[in-house]
Amino acid sequence: MSTERHEIKMFTPMTLGLLILIIAGAVSVYKRMTLGLGATTNLQDDFPWGFWIGFDVLGGVAMAAGGFVIASAVYLFNMKKYKPIARPAILTAFLGYLLAASGIFLDIGQPFRIWHPMVMWQVHSIMFIVAIHVVIYTTVLAMESSPMFFERIGLKGVQRFVEKIMMPIALFGTLLSTLHQSSLGAVYLIVPDKLHPLWYSSLLPFSFLVSAIMMGLSMVSFESILSSKFFKHQANVGILSGLARGSMVAIGFYFVLKIFVLLKGPGIGAAFAGTMEARLYLLEMAVGVIVPLILLLIPAMRNSTGSIFLVNCLVIVGVVINRMNVAIFGLLRHAHERGASYFPTTNEFMVTLFLVALGIFLFKFACKYFNVLSYEEVKQ
Amino acid sequence: MGTNAIMENTTAGQGVKKMEASFLIDATKCIGCRGCQISCKSWNQNGTDRTTAGPTFTNPPKLNSKTYTNIAFFESEQNGAVSWNFARNGCFHCKKPACASVCPVEALVKTPEGPVIYRAERCIGCRYCMLACPFNVPKYEWEKLSPKIQKCTFCYDRLLAGMIPACAKTCPTGTIHFSDSIEKNLAEAKKRISENPGKYHNHIYGEKEAGGTSVLLLSALPLDQIGHAKVGDQVLPDLTWKYISGIPAIIGVVLAAGIGSWVITRRMKNMDKEDE
Amino acid sequence: MTNHWIDLKNADVVLVMGSNIAENHPIAMKWIMRAREKGAKLVVVDPRFTRTAAKADLYAPLRSGTDIAFLGGMIKYILDNNLYFRDYVVNYTNAAYLVNPDFKMPGQLNGIFSGYDEKTRKYDKKTWSFQMDDKGLPKKDMTLKDPNCVFQLLKKHYSRYTAAKVSDITGTPKDKLLEVYKIYGSTGKPNRAGTECYAMGWTQHTVGTQNIKAMTIIQLLLGNIGMAGGGVNALRGESNVQGSTDQGLLFHILPGYVPVPTATLVDLKAYNEKNTPKTKDPKSVNWWGNRPKYFASYLKAIYGANATADNDFGYAWLPKLDEGQNGSWLMLFDQMYKGKFEGFFAWGQNPACSGANSNKTRKAMGKLKWMVNVNLFDNETASFWKGPGMNPKDIQTEVFMLPCSSSVEKEGSISNSGRWAQWRYKAIEPIGQSKPDGEIIHELYKRVKKLYQAKGGKFPAPITNLTWNYKSKDKEFDTHLIAREINGYYLDDIFDPKDATKQLGKKNELCTNFVTLQADGRTSCGNWIYSGSYTHKEGKMINMMARRGKSDPTGLGMFPEWSWCWPLNRRIIYNRAAVNMTGQPWDPKRAVIKWNPDKLDPKTKKTAPGWDGDVPDGPAPPMADEKAGKYPFIMRADGMGAIFGPGLADGPFPEHYEALECPLQENLMSKTKINPAVKLFHDGKDGSPEDVFFSCDTRYPYVATTYRMTEHWQTGVLTRHLPWLLEAAPQLYVEMSEELAAEKGIKGGESVKVKSGRGEVKAVAVVTKRFKPFKIAGSTIHQIGLPNHFGWQFPEDGSGGEAANLLTPTIGDANTMIPETKAFMVNVEKI
Ligand SMILES: Nc1nc2c(c(=O)[nH]1)N[C@H]1C(S)=C(S)[C@@H](COP(=O)(O)OP(=O)(O)OC[C@H]3O[C@@H](n4cnc5c(=O)[nH]c(N)nc54)[C@H](O)[C@@H]3O)O[C@H]1N2
Ligand SMILES: Nc1nc2c(c(=O)[nH]1)N[C@H]1C(S)=C(S)[C@@H](COP(=O)(O)OP(=O)(O)OC[C@H]3O[C@@H](n4cnc5c(=O)[nH]c(N)nc54)[C@H](O)[C@@H]3O)O[C@H]1N2
Ligand code: SF4
Ligand code: SF4
Ligand code: SF4
Ligand code: SF4
Ligand code: SF4
Ligand SMILES: [Mo]
Repeated sequence: MSTERHEIKMFTPMTLGLLILIIAGAVSVYKRMTLGLGATTNLQDDFPWGFWIGFDVLGGVAMAAGGFVIASAVYLFNMKKYKPIARPAILTAFLGYLLAASGIFLDIGQPFRIWHPMVMWQVHSIMFIVAIHVVIYTTVLAMESSPMFFERIGLKGVQRFVEKIMMPIALFGTLLSTLHQSSLGAVYLIVPDKLHPLWYSSLLPFSFLVSAIMMGLSMVSFESILSSKFFKHQANVGILSGLARGSMVAIGFYFVLKIFVLLKGPGIGAAFAGTMEARLYLLEMAVGVIVPLILLLIPAMRNSTGSIFLVNCLVIVGVVINRMNVAIFGLLRHAHERGASYFPTTNEFMVTLFLVALGIFLFKFACKYFNVLSYEEVKQ
Repeated sequence: MGTNAIMENTTAGQGVKKMEASFLIDATKCIGCRGCQISCKSWNQNGTDRTTAGPTFTNPPKLNSKTYTNIAFFESEQNGAVSWNFARNGCFHCKKPACASVCPVEALVKTPEGPVIYRAERCIGCRYCMLACPFNVPKYEWEKLSPKIQKCTFCYDRLLAGMIPACAKTCPTGTIHFSDSIEKNLAEAKKRISENPGKYHNHIYGEKEAGGTSVLLLSALPLDQIGHAKVGDQVLPDLTWKYISGIPAIIGVVLAAGIGSWVITRRMKNMDKEDE
Repeated sequence: MTNHWIDLKNADVVLVMGSNIAENHPIAMKWIMRAREKGAKLVVVDPRFTRTAAKADLYAPLRSGTDIAFLGGMIKYILDNNLYFRDYVVNYTNAAYLVNPDFKMPGQLNGIFSGYDEKTRKYDKKTWSFQMDDKGLPKKDMTLKDPNCVFQLLKKHYSRYTAAKVSDITGTPKDKLLEVYKIYGSTGKPNRAGTECYAMGWTQHTVGTQNIKAMTIIQLLLGNIGMAGGGVNALRGESNVQGSTDQGLLFHILPGYVPVPTATLVDLKAYNEKNTPKTKDPKSVNWWGNRPKYFASYLKAIYGANATADNDFGYAWLPKLDEGQNGSWLMLFDQMYKGKFEGFFAWGQNPACSGANSNKTRKAMGKLKWMVNVNLFDNETASFWKGPGMNPKDIQTEVFMLPCSSSVEKEGSISNSGRWAQWRYKAIEPIGQSKPDGEIIHELYKRVKKLYQAKGGKFPAPITNLTWNYKSKDKEFDTHLIAREINGYYLDDIFDPKDATKQLGKKNELCTNFVTLQADGRTSCGNWIYSGSYTHKEGKMINMMARRGKSDPTGLGMFPEWSWCWPLNRRIIYNRAAVNMTGQPWDPKRAVIKWNPDKLDPKTKKTAPGWDGDVPDGPAPPMADEKAGKYPFIMRADGMGAIFGPGLADGPFPEHYEALECPLQENLMSKTKINPAVKLFHDGKDGSPEDVFFSCDTRYPYVATTYRMTEHWQTGVLTRHLPWLLEAAPQLYVEMSEELAAEKGIKGGESVKVKSGRGEVKAVAVVTKRFKPFKIAGSTIHQIGLPNHFGWQFPEDGSGGEAANLLTPTIGDANTMIPETKAFMVNVEKI
């Protein structure tokens, strides 16, 4: 067992902060469960999906993309170099999915029927596809993260067995993720008249997938840097710049895709029309795509932890903005036309904070009690 | 609708299966009496909200979980001539309903008789139907802890019992014309337009909108001027179906690429092991 | 209605003026829509753009209370442009009659007709008469040229109603005015029919009856009366209000429009003398000449065996009016206010909200000792003593509530505006202790009678002598027995006086119709116009009102086998005016009736010339028939449609007067500002403070009117409790133009106060393009309007608002005394 793990202190001021958020958030969750959606959210007939779908589900799932990106790199592309970050990446994804699922649980009006799609199939529904994926992929992620659990409880044999069959599991996970990430984009294919043309496009699934890969890479990199800071181990610059190179390619591709979509759709002019949507679009592009791309194109930047960290932050924020644009801001115009508007309630924010804090807390908890970060060392 | 179109068009023993329920709603005939709104509430025993007198007569101001249909009042003035138009809102019972196509649990379904109906016991409350409906029809019982989606049922219960929908039955002016065939209503709509030059805005709303709907609207004014959203002609479920039907291909590609790269990279790695 | 609802579909032009048919008679509106689909034009004249106007081909605004000016202008236009139907006018109306040369008109007498007495505010109608020839028939000039003939007088009278003058008074833009005249004037051709739909927009004025009279003149000029798709059609209000007037629910008439006797008519003979019109013209049917038969049969129906020829059939027991006594609504509440009544039955009404000047009405009820509210619900009337501004401690009135069952819980007939009496069945049993109104009356009668019998009293005979046989085998109170009593029985075998072998009626059987009624006590009939509604055929009793036959032989929508229509199942009255002098329809496409010389008697298979189509106004051959031909207007003594009508209190021709409260200093038409024959409750200086009025007063600068909306019923007692309706129309609102709102800084949806000299209400502003300021004689005059559907009692939090009648004045029409709730003055303030 690693000694390093014991250096992770559970009761730091940060943990305390997390706990406070979790407790406060739990109250909001309780309110949601006992008073209903109408009383606790600003969701309404003219705006049925809000912050939870935009941030918790769309944002959360994109953030969790690191899991499949790294898993496929390590297990499919045999990039062993990234093995050290596989465990945290997959754990992050697992937690991310669990929390996104919790977000869905809280968001749907009949939470206790969340299992219905499993038995009442409707293959025409993207939502069904998404639901099935969430369930299966969460299971896959659980399997992918299971070795460290078996390791912890001393079932080495089982651990080894699971690790042996990791390739097909990872393959399956990658498949599911590809479908799933793109499916979340496909969710919006049905609203051509409602979603602002700056975002609506038949390539939505593809852009969601590509941006998820960007996001995944940045997320993993971001976490590595952060955890190295918090858990005081040396960040592997090789891994980081490798991830950065990957990001550069993904972002570059995404940039071309976005421009193509813009030209094919509403045209360049729409991005500079001065409307709220145009500004948000430019913001999303600048923060998540253009500035990171420029930074990454400079080789020196790709090799410095500090600038990589900055790029990571930009990409994460940029993609989250993109998801919020699709899920909220891009639909507001339609709501306004119908005399409605939307801004989340404190309760909605608190529930999201609850989920995020819980995720971070669980991650930290796992790092302390499982071999998340020091896998390679143990092996060697 | 003096006689019962459903019974007329079904032969005994065959039930009502052959029907393709349709409304032709001709706003030029509507007198804004709101009989449809009230009779719908009466038939469905829907509740009410506390309202206040508004700047116009539209009340409730919008469809909601207790209001499947309402009449919206629009005043306008052109060259000093005032006009007052009444527009009936409600479900269009799309031929290819977006709401049903997106529902993960088949809570919303298009029945063979035409109505798009809701099966509450299946619904998980994801509200995707609300987002997906191009006409913003499905409504939610936000105030409830165990909320349901609510929308016009096309009086499916009445249709099955051989009666025409309550709103159509009540409508004193024939504005809401029920037929057991969309084609018949479409032909009637075309006839009205061609026989009355200048009376109608030359567009049958619902003929093409969202790929065609069971409810067709005629009006003197462009429909967007009486509160009906501009909706494209595409069959919305096709948009997602294009993606879903591509999934096997995606699976194939991902599997092939995954296995392929695993094989290739493994070999490569084995060949130049010293690299490691 | 002279015609009936479905007949509206036969019109070429429908003028909706003085009503709002789409909102208040939505089911009937469909027939207008049908007419329009066939190319008819719908013309709407209303102070505001209504839901009816929304469907109109032409809408013209006019200031409330100025319809006579508008219609007077139309008469002038029709005459000036020779649009009238000459054959019809000459032969079927009194246009050719020569009028007393002493007769003077408002143009000559500063706005009044000859014979006016300022002190009594009444006319002596001596000069409003015709010149008679030596045979006792009116003198005529069939060329219509004699300056004293009705036609020329009409022309002269309305020559003052120039389009410019009319536009100045009504505020209707001149081009709109002329457009309406042109379209409506187009129906003067034999092959065109125009119909008019009016209701409270015309009646609720100090000149209400004359509004209708003006239209009658137009319809006679254009030959539209008797025609399918024509007529002057009163869209009646309360579901059975037609039935209620038919059955004599007004103070001055007995069932069948038989006048209530006055105290000066001491016996039956005197009554008959006074009330039986006579004619010396053999071609005039003069149907009212039969009145003694109907009156005697009525007395036999109510007093039965107690009524004998010797006791004038109980004539003495009938209540009498004093000469000139008026017992209408306004008078009753005025008397009540003055403490003249002990008790009051508020039976199926809500006067605390529906009566004009509700503050006065509510105060009046506080002067009573007791009040009985017979109603489905508690309402503002029953609870007036705890309403706003009332101190229950100060009010001694003891209120009783008798719960009655609703229309679906009882069986009986309902007569619609088209005079169709339709039998309705009980759908459900009455809830709780509630009882049908009839049973309540039945119970009440039994108790009152018992009291009279036990304790005597001042004059028990009218009550104790009544027949009251409404108990059947299975029912304590059977409406069928009432229906049969109304139809009438033969109390003896009746034979044709001309042919003793021909039996007209069998003893104890139901009367076939009123033609066989007798003046000598051998028949009974509760209401002659309903005779034929419940008959004997081949020994079986048939309730004609319950018929539901759907055949329509004429294709005109008369449906002769659907229910039953008075008189004699005649669907269009005065239908003999729909044919020319030889009995051929003016418009063959719209043949209401048609003389058929080759008609085959279905029984004998022999030719027996007669009429095809609707039940004709009498079987006599066409007017051209020298011997037996008859004039078409059989209810008039002279058989002619009355263009010159001496019967009304305020003039033989309608003349424009302003409403009691109006925005003008002067009547632009003459020196006489308001109708000179109305009863004033306050003369402007003296009177009860409740009855004040303010004309042309800067404190109340805006014209106001009140009306209905589809979503509510009357004072809202039946509809405010219905959540679906209350949701659709939750609160009292006031409609005003964008211009007035801008002037007052009011926005749509804001609360405002509407105030008159008598009261105020809070309302939500509906700022609309549908009201426009009027240009009256060069200055701008605003009008507003509000519905009369709300009251303090429900919704309980008062959010619905109060009765618009808190604003309206105590004044009524010169003939009917219906309150002037359609035109008065108010102010509007932002709260
Ligand atoms: N939904 C509904 N239907 C009803 C009723 C109800 O309460 N609710 N009530 C029933 C009863 S009892 C009756 S009597 C009828 C009444 O039926 P209507 O007479 O149609 O009823 P109102 O709405 O009182 O008045 C009709 C119109 O007269 C207009 N008006 C006002 N002043 C004038 C004027 O000076 N000249 C002209 N030309 N028009 C004027 C008003 O703007 C209004 O649009 O409706 C019956 N039908
Ligand atoms: N300002 C203004 N005032 C008006 C008018 C207007 O246009 N403007 N219109 C006038 C006209 S035309 C009319 S007709 C009057 C109406 O005046 P009202 O007749 O006084 O008013 P409603 O509200 O119809 O009252 C009818 C009552 O009868 C009760 N009721 C219903 N069914 C039954 C039944 O079967 N039996 C019994 N016993 N009761 C029953 C209802 O609950 C209700 O309380 O209002 C007049 N007042
Ligand atoms: S209108 Fe909307 S709710 Fe109705 S069937 Fe179409 S998509 Fe579904
Ligand atoms: S809210 Fe219910 S009906 Fe609508 S899509 Fe979701 S499960 Fe289906
Ligand atoms: S069809 Fe039935 S449910 Fe739909 S609006 Fe009409 S009455 Fe209501
Ligand atoms: S019932 Fe008919 S006429 Fe009345 S508002 Fe509805 S659609 Fe219009
Ligand atoms: S209230 Fe009754 S009588 Fe009047 S239109 Fe409606 S259904 Fe006909
Ligand atoms: Mo009335």
